[in-house]
Amino acid sequence: MSQGPNRRDVIAAAGAFGAVAAMPWAPGAKAQTARAAPFTIVINNSPWFDGFRGVVEAYEKETGNKVNLDVNPFGGSLEKQRASVRARDGQFDLLIMNGLYYQEMYHGGFLTPINDIDPTFRLDPQMIRYDNTVYWDEATKTHSPSGKLMSVPVNGNIPLLLYRADLYAEHKLKVPETWDELLANAKKLHNPPRMYGIVQRGARGSPNDISYDWWPYLYSHGGKLFRDEPKGDYTITINSPEGKAALDFYIRMAKEAGHPQTGGLAQAQIIQNLATGRAAHALLVIAAWSQMDDPSKSAVVGKLNAARVPGSAKGKPAPVLGHWLGGIPKNVPKPRQEAALTFLKWFQTHGAQMKYLAAGAPPVRQDVLSDQNLWKEQKNRWMPAMAQSSEYVQLMWSVPEGSQIGDVLELRLNQAVIGELTTERALNMIADECHAIMQRAGYKTGKIAAL
Amino acid sequence: MAARSVNIDTTWRAIALTPTAVIFVLMSILPVLNLMAMSVNEITWVGGKSVWTYVGFAHYKRLADDTLLRAGISNTFVFAVIGVTAQVVIGFLLAWAVSRVRTGRLAYRTIFILPILVPGILIGAVWKLMLNYDFGLANGFLEVFGIHPVDWLGTRAFALPSVIVVDIWHWTPFCFLLLLAGFESLPQDVHEAARVDGASNWAELRYVLIPMMMPVIVVTFLFRFVTSLKVFDEIYLLTGGGPGSATEVISYTVYRTFFTQDRMGYGSAMSVAVLFGISLLIVASLAAARRQGGRA
Repeated sequence: MSQGPNRRDVIAAAGAFGAVAAMPWAPGAKAQTARAAPFTIVINNSPWFDGFRGVVEAYEKETGNKVNLDVNPFGGSLEKQRASVRARDGQFDLLIMNGLYYQEMYHGGFLTPINDIDPTFRLDPQMIRYDNTVYWDEATKTHSPSGKLMSVPVNGNIPLLLYRADLYAEHKLKVPETWDELLANAKKLHNPPRMYGIVQRGARGSPNDISYDWWPYLYSHGGKLFRDEPKGDYTITINSPEGKAALDFYIRMAKEAGHPQTGGLAQAQIIQNLATGRAAHALLVIAAWSQMDDPSKSAVVGKLNAARVPGSAKGKPAPVLGHWLGGIPKNVPKPRQEAALTFLKWFQTHGAQMKYLAAGAPPVRQDVLSDQNLWKEQKNRWMPAMAQSSEYVQLMWSVPEGSQIGDVLELRLNQAVIGELTTERALNMIADECHAIMQRAGYKTGKIAAL
Repeated sequence: MAARSVNIDTTWRAIALTPTAVIFVLMSILPVLNLMAMSVNEITWVGGKSVWTYVGFAHYKRLADDTLLRAGISNTFVFAVIGVTAQVVIGFLLAWAVSRVRTGRLAYRTIFILPILVPGILIGAVWKLMLNYDFGLANGFLEVFGIHPVDWLGTRAFALPSVIVVDIWHWTPFCFLLLLAGFESLPQDVHEAARVDGASNWAELRYVLIPMMMPVIVVTFLFRFVTSLKVFDEIYLLTGGGPGSATEVISYTVYRTFFTQDRMGYGSAMSVAVLFGISLLIVASLAAARRQGGRA
């Protein structure tokens, strides 16, 4: 494996392999995983990347196939993916797309349906569908199993509630199931600046911090961005009384038990506060877990535990998807498409997912996540919470305008947290600006009465 | 014979330079023309192909209502005026001091230009750590005196000033170098004449050196001012434009519109408007510099 694409090498090797593979005595023809051309994966350098690199190394070792990894910051990966799929000849053969932007790849028609590459391919029944986001129905523009399979899940990033189990035992606290219980526990442990009851991702992110952190509050309070997205009703309803209750509660949590500078905290600072033992709770994507038990990076090894995110007294918990999907672009040669799919076929096997887990990444197979023998291992103590969350996960939105909507949310929600805007004003502004975005894009949209 | 040789030389120079000039003009003008074409279209992607829909000047009309762009313009000017003024003043004082040193001038010069040699990404990482609320050196220093920690990059009151301080630290060496070159090019006899006339250090600075250095000061200021309007890396690395829109600057607004939001038509209109504004400013600056040069 090498990092950084070397397109010329890849094409030359693909050509050479193609020529050899056409011969009847081609080596490896009978191997369980077929020999494939070298191909390139474009991926972000998120906290779970080390686990992915580990599983790619295992694939190379097991099959002899070669994989190039093009590793980038979050935003950089998206920019490279856009540039590649919009060119005449694509540079990348497998796109690792985030749950917040894969939609533009589906809507824009940049991906090859998986079964167009191999009609016999089936997504393993144990692979988690993540709100059916792997499917795309072009006619209805919705995620439906009746549509085509467009991608394979690569990472099941969802937020979990990470809490200090040692302090819970010391103070005899019960793991919270509602936001009110979480606030009560956080207040008991709040002792700034030594210990913050909770740390929240309140920063204006690039691309997403506060909106991703707040969304579970919104959904579980009964709020929504659109009135009925699956049915094509894009009326903006975020400035409903439920939306206001969710934002008021989020800010109350910050004021009563949170970090004094919540408006400046991005994911990196949340991890930093947890790992240095200065935070009792945080909603954090599970991808960051491996750092918490690494003695070289953490002062709280063995002290944290994970639980499903709380819900409101009225509503169910609603962990939101920040997952990653692997899609194969249209504009790359067939041998490289097949090579990428060969990898995905191997990746969805039980054995590969066990290797993925061992390398430090959360698996995307339900049978691995639900394996109670694995739960018994101390290092896997986050797995029950993850397995129990699967049935509640929800997507933030499925429209390709998500990147514009996200930018609006980040600015206005952050302004509410730092006190520049009241919650009513912030939500009304979000509603106005999102309405304008949807109207410009030609959706059936509208607004509800302002708060 | 000599006149003919001069004509051949001139013609040959013109022919030799033409390809470079054509390439330069094409590479400067074609992207701008492309940007202009994009700015009057809405660009979407269907079936893997781009679809351009003509919208006239709709994007330009929308610019006036863009609150984020307005915040960006205002912050950029505050950033440029305060930052560059401080850089020129500090750079001038350092250059004046170094020009008066008899020994070790090279060592001082090397030390003072170090910040400009540090890559932007390192500057972002180092200052982000130094200004960190919980673990940063700056708050550690305040703690020694019993002062409460400050969220240097996360509060509206401190975020823009903090980024300006980083910019001053980063770019003062550039002003220092230009101004030191100016000091070193001043005729020595003027300095000696002032001394013979019994002028104090302050009087020499006020009545002799500053007037003589004024053309260099003006050029340094204008050059840095124009480049500082394009600030991006420090904002991207330190604050991401936040909190709220406290550190939003023009380049960052254009970047987010173009690359994060993927609004190519509107982003192009924004880019063309900014390009036009900065070009006007450059022309005005050059005219001012010329007037100043004429006076000096």
